[in-house]
Amino acid sequence: MSRILIVEDDDHIRTALRLMFEGEGYIVDDAPTGEVGIALFNRMASDMAIVDIMLPGMSGFETCLALRNASDCPIVIVSARDDTADVVLGLESGADDYVTKPFVPEELLARVKAHLRRRPEKSTGAFQLGTLHVIPDEGVVRQHDGAELHLTSTEFRLLTDLASNNGKALSREDLLERVWGYDYFGDSRLVDVHIRRLRMKIEPDPANPCFLVTVRGTGYKLVI
Amino acid sequence: MRRRSLRLRLLVTFGLGAFILSTLIASLTYVGVQRILVSNQQQTDLQQSYVNAALVRATLYSSPPELSNLLNSIEQATAANVLVRTHGQWLARSNNASFVDVSLKTINSVDRGHATEQTLEVDGKTIFVVGVPIPSVETQDFEIFKLDHLEHTLHELLLALGLGALVTTIIGMLGGLWVTRRTVRPLEEVSLAAALIADGALTTRLQVNQADREVEQLTESFNQMVSQLVERLERDARFASDVSHELRSPLTTLATTASVLQQHRSDLSPAGQESLDLLLADLSIFQSLVEDLLEMARSDAGAGALVMETMPAVELVRQSVRSASARHAISEPPTEVADGTGEPFVRVDRKRFERVITNLVDNAHRYAGGAVAVRIDVEGPLLAVNVDDAGAGIPRDESDHVFERFYRGLAAHDRGIARGTGLGLALVRDHVRAFGGTIAVAESPEGGARFQILLPLVEADEL
Repeated sequence: MSRILIVEDDDHIRTALRLMFEGEGYIVDDAPTGEVGIALFNRMASDMAIVDIMLPGMSGFETCLALRNASDCPIVIVSARDDTADVVLGLESGADDYVTKPFVPEELLARVKAHLRRRPEKSTGAFQLGTLHVIPDEGVVRQHDGAELHLTSTEFRLLTDLASNNGKALSREDLLERVWGYDYFGDSRLVDVHIRRLRMKIEPDPANPCFLVTVRGTGYKLVI
Repeated sequence: MRRRSLRLRLLVTFGLGAFILSTLIASLTYVGVQRILVSNQQQTDLQQSYVNAALVRATLYSSPPELSNLLNSIEQATAANVLVRTHGQWLARSNNASFVDVSLKTINSVDRGHATEQTLEVDGKTIFVVGVPIPSVETQDFEIFKLDHLEHTLHELLLALGLGALVTTIIGMLGGLWVTRRTVRPLEEVSLAAALIADGALTTRLQVNQADREVEQLTESFNQMVSQLVERLERDARFASDVSHELRSPLTTLATTASVLQQHRSDLSPAGQESLDLLLADLSIFQSLVEDLLEMARSDAGAGALVMETMPAVELVRQSVRSASARHAISEPPTEVADGTGEPFVRVDRKRFERVITNLVDNAHRYAGGAVAVRIDVEGPLLAVNVDDAGAGIPRDESDHVFERFYRGLAAHDRGIARGTGLGLALVRDHVRAFGGTIAVAESPEGGARFQILLPLVEADEL
């Protein structure tokens, strides 16, 4: 059974969320602050984290960064505001997804389930991306000197899904469905921020991408 | 009654005033000058006549045969045509003198011994005839003076005065123009500023015009009014935003707790289950309402929160329709692109544009049995996105109000329709305006309502 960490300073919301996820059969650890959350996460080896951005002391962004450094597990942030700046900052600090308050509980639940559901990845063989060697079977990307390039699981799925589409472009909606497993909700900004993060890691010049290119009016494609 | 332009009225008043005044002055001047000139000339001519008559008398005494010569020399020297008459017969005349110029009345009067003067029009020319009796030799002396040169002078005077009147009229109109600018310009500026402010440009202020005290007062009080209005608007917006923000946490708890209850639904009694359903339904409305209020507060906060991107319009609309339908789990209306639309680009905030389409599609779903199509067309420099339905349409008197916040039309009251928040269309209008576009209601080809968004087309950016 999956283990979920909830970092939320509001007692009522935290308790309600814990009750809801426990009702769905998950094991839940909850923490009122980022510091407590990180300690719990390391001790309990959580499969997933839900982090509120507005936390006393250590901020949600910092908490996300710390969790991301410790693990590749899915992180969903709960943002107080829907401002693009907040959302982007949250995603840049390593989160895979975000919801804004007041969120519909079923939507949060569906997202958590989608992230935890290990969908079988599209079978695509190992391929070369410039000096990078991508091996989907092992889930690793190696640089030319053999060192592993670290990608989060979402980034890795994004890369291999685009690769499996044989150089054809995928729309943001397609990617949301394939990578995040969302049928409908979800924000195309999610895709944009993850693409940017992925570019920072794999592109020689992220400002002028040569592998992960934008197709105007459609979405993105991977040029191998 | 059609209102005439103040500008035109001022201009005409000034022009007409200057014209009447200058014409009056010119006429008076002309008449006065003419009188003085003519009477002066006649006085001179009269005196000349007496002098001439004395010469005639002297000549008749001394050497009568010299009379003709004398008359001619008088004519040469004074330009007077001289005729001399004695005992009812013409005795002599100067070369250019004519008997016909002297009227019988004058002759008779002079015959009776009266010196007589008469002004006559002969062949369109004014002449001044003077008859002087010389009783000592029973002779009458008649002298004819032409007033032609006077007429020429008067003619020139008339021309000069006419020209003067014209110039005065023009100066009057120019003055009118200046006054008009002075008085009408500030009014126009106020009206323009008010229109801008009404369109949402709340930072618009009038430049304080210190030239005229009245105008300065007007601009100052106008600016003050706008500032206070803006402050009040901001306070209201902040209040709505604060309230919505404060509602978020308890609402999240409520919704989550309700969904926990939903998980334990089977443990509840039938009454408990029914209560839970009511709770869930209203929570959902409550949630949408707070979401819409928060979005409205963001939209009120201005363009700062906008993330504008240049997007290919057709694909943007298509994807927005798709995600809108998915979000509300309603069947996706077809996106129809008119022939010759090409590949237009628009500049919008994608998330808000999606919200616009979502709200329109949802609106059609709630009140008109769903959108039949979303139609894209290019109209001149604008992109038209029409969300059409086949419902009852929107009455003309409601079409202006449907975009107001919390406005509920008849359709919303009449039927057992799931309630919206009353903010959906208001948000649509706010967002469309933020993109520099407009939205209006018309009739769809199917006879239902057509919500038409018009957005300015843009050139595609460099990739």
